[in-house]
Amino acid sequence: MNRKIRPASTLAMLGILCAAAPVHAHHAFSAEFDAEKPVELKGTVTKLELVNPHSWLYLDVKQQDGSVANWGFEFGAPFNLKQKGITKASLPVGSDVNIQGYRAKNGKNFGYAVTTTLGDGRSVKTGGAQDAPGATPGQ
Amino acid sequence: MTPLHEGRNYPKNLLPIVGIVMSCLLATQVLAADKKIPRLSNGKPDFSGIWQSTSAADYDLEPHSNRKDAPPSAGSVEGEFLPYLPKALTQRQKNFATRATDDPALKGYTLGVPRGIYYPEPFQIFQRKQDLLLVHQFGHSVRTINTNGTDHPKDPYDWWLGDSRGHWEGDTLVVDVKHFNDKTWFDRAGNYHSDALHVVEKWAFLDPNTIEYKATIEDPNVFSRPWNISVILYRHREKNFQLIEDYRFTLDYDDNYPPKPNKP
Repeated sequence: MNRKIRPASTLAMLGILCAAAPVHAHHAFSAEFDAEKPVELKGTVTKLELVNPHSWLYLDVKQQDGSVANWGFEFGAPFNLKQKGITKASLPVGSDVNIQGYRAKNGKNFGYAVTTTLGDGRSVKTGGAQDAPGATPGQ
Repeated sequence: MTPLHEGRNYPKNLLPIVGIVMSCLLATQVLAADKKIPRLSNGKPDFSGIWQSTSAADYDLEPHSNRKDAPPSAGSVEGEFLPYLPKALTQRQKNFATRATDDPALKGYTLGVPRGIYYPEPFQIFQRKQDLLLVHQFGHSVRTINTNGTDHPKDPYDWWLGDSRGHWEGDTLVVDVKHFNDKTWFDRAGNYHSDALHVVEKWAFLDPNTIEYKATIEDPNVFSRPWNISVILYRHREKNFQLIEDYRFTLDYDDNYPPKPNKP
């Protein structure tokens, strides 16, 4: 009997491992972002992509020299955002937004959003990665 | 000679002819039955089965000569070429130049609509009265076409496969698909779209084992007018034919997914 059960349970374990591995890979914070480089930016929304496995918010940020740079921030999964009351209508193109998060390791203009403050003053936690630092940047 | 109108002899003489006519009618009916398309219990055509296109649409929707990475084809587009806006045509040319690395299918991304339909791998349809479920072998993508009279959601996401709502026009299934993201292409030649893509599909049986698939595609950010494609889908009838697992995360998928604005 045991002989029959063992391969089955091994298979089940393998199945769980296989299923878990890609989920982790999709949401690893540390692969892309640097917990040592917090960032806080204010800008206007240029695009919101509610895409699985996680969304992206793009904003135009005014630089000190007057030029505008476009930044992309990783968000949570669309359903997770919906549960927090964030839909397409919450962040229309042209609306003001403030983001606290972490910069990408490659130093380019993208990062990971932890706290997003909407134009109406509403503040929501938006990150989706399991291994992301949850604390407000700078603290 | 007995006059023809004399009742007693009339049926006797005609019996062999009636027999021949009857058997002819029966034979025709049997032939007709063979050509009858499968139907659900509610009378609607039943597209259940495993299907695949033999077209070269996935290589390049437009007419093209042979290339190292594509067989030649007369194209699958009505009017032959896609009506790109000038700026979008430049992007398409860039995509074509970098197709060996930038084709979303090579990155393992979900193929989108309509690419998943004519991509050279089989897909299986499971159909009920209220919906059709399309399972694509490539990446094991699953798409639902709702046929329960519901409309697109009011707070949509940017789905990889859009949101599909179908209805019947006679024996043709008409599907309205929208709310896409902009991360998929139409083919491996760099023909592309924005997140404003809107697809209207028409599915109809040509015979029990053949579907004519047509789609009208519009995207005001990329094209100057709507355009149409048409491909034929064949039912797989090989013995024991089945979808095989083709999960893309077993390949170099994690290098590309999830999509990032700039690769590190």
